[in-house]
Amino acid sequence: MKRKQRTEILIQDGGVLAKELAEMVTQSYKFREIEEPHYGLTMIKMRETAKKSLFYLGEALVTEAKVEVHQSIGIGIVIGMEEELAKHLAIIDAAYRAELPETMEWEEKLEVAAEKIFQQKERQQAEILKTKVNFETMEV
Amino acid sequence: MGYVAVKGGTEAIEASLDRLKYDRLKGEEIVEIKTILATMRPLVDQVMSEASLYAPFLAALAIKQAGGSMEEAVFLLRAHRSTLPRYYYSETVDTEDMFVERRISASFKDIPGGQLLGSTNDYTHRLLDFNLVNEKKEENQAWLQEFQERMCDDVADKELQFFPKVVDYLREEGLFERYPLDDTPPKDITKQSIQFPTGRSERLQVLTRGQTGAVTSLGYASLRGYGQVHPTIGEVRVGNVPIHVQHPYEEESDPDDLFYIGDVKLTEVESFVPVNVKKQNQKEELEFEIGYGISFGQNETKAIAMSILDQCLENPHGEFPTHDEEFVLLHIDSVESTGFISHLKLPHYVTFQSKLDSARQVKKGGNNK
Repeated sequence: MKRKQRTEILIQDGGVLAKELAEMVTQSYKFREIEEPHYGLTMIKMRETAKKSLFYLGEALVTEAKVEVHQSIGIGIVIGMEEELAKHLAIIDAAYRAELPETMEWEEKLEVAAEKIFQQKERQQAEILKTKVNFETMEV
Repeated sequence: MGYVAVKGGTEAIEASLDRLKYDRLKGEEIVEIKTILATMRPLVDQVMSEASLYAPFLAALAIKQAGGSMEEAVFLLRAHRSTLPRYYYSETVDTEDMFVERRISASFKDIPGGQLLGSTNDYTHRLLDFNLVNEKKEENQAWLQEFQERMCDDVADKELQFFPKVVDYLREEGLFERYPLDDTPPKDITKQSIQFPTGRSERLQVLTRGQTGAVTSLGYASLRGYGQVHPTIGEVRVGNVPIHVQHPYEEESDPDDLFYIGDVKLTEVESFVPVNVKKQNQKEELEFEIGYGISFGQNETKAIAMSILDQCLENPHGEFPTHDEEFVLLHIDSVESTGFISHLKLPHYVTFQSKLDSARQVKKGGNNK
């Protein structure tokens, strides 16, 4: 599974799966923190829809961590103050870069989590759709 | 006259700081950060928007520390932001990827995908609810449970919907001009002070971090005749958009290898503004332009007012202050305007003495005549 999909699942899952996967790595491999989780900023670039030009919306606080596992460097980045999650994401990123065999087993877990997240979003959207207006034209 | 440097305020300042702390603590109540986050989200959103920093926890902390003063909370968050390094720039965010929580149009009743009222104060009676005086957790929990049970039906197997823009349908009809993607790198007003005339990217960045009250007031002024823009709202949408960043060291740019780093909640507005355009045959035709507004969090009034000011500034007009970019852009920033106004209460002994001296000299000269 590619990084974009993987990180989306691990962050939207809330950190439980990320912790489980990261612990599988740290129990079996040498792991070194290159940079402890720390706070920084990400500037958000937007495309406005009036003239399709680009501008900067403002910054988001992020937590970033960097680790080394099996001679591979991994990075974890997440919006908010999320030290544990950033570290776990970095370990998982390093595991994928190092092509550790464990990562093959993770696909199924990630897909199960993705399905759960999808169902939560379906439920959330169904709730929001209850506020959809059914217009009826009145005869005057 | 000789100028005299003075000192002696240190102890008084320390006593004043104690007094400030005493005022915050004397009620012997503690408002928790989580309480602010759970119950005052519009306030948190407003602080984040004006501070130009999306950080709900820090915004709530700033509100607590400031004792609820908006200008102080924004100042605190803006100051904290200046201590943090910027590591990343996001990939371009497109609000068509928004997970929409609310979406309405004042221009059409039947918009594709429908109008979603979501969560809003728009339809409340604005009567004080005295039941909140003695609100009980048990009653709230019972309401929540009943609400969730009511929501549980007919959820299964529905596709997630992502809503197209209302304006895209009008562009397909040829009623609005189509613009190609403009990938000109935006300027960043936090790196370089704005110079006039400004670029569009600078104007939008200043407007979106403007003080809510100031942006709203100037937008309102334009509607009342101190400007020439009176739009119809094409679409207001509120929801979460995903943010992605590139790996800092990898050279390959496979979009599937981006980092997803989380969502931010936004309010986005497209206002439709009628304009008369002179065609080649010298005849005037009615066309529409779009005013664009956006804000961190849910802040619809500010985003609508921003869309008015965006359109005003796209069409400079010497007669109207709201069409004057220097007038608008240099006066709507919370930290700049409140900072400058509040500096007036700081010691100006020397400058004022100098003015008094001048006045005395003039009077003395007058008496001599």
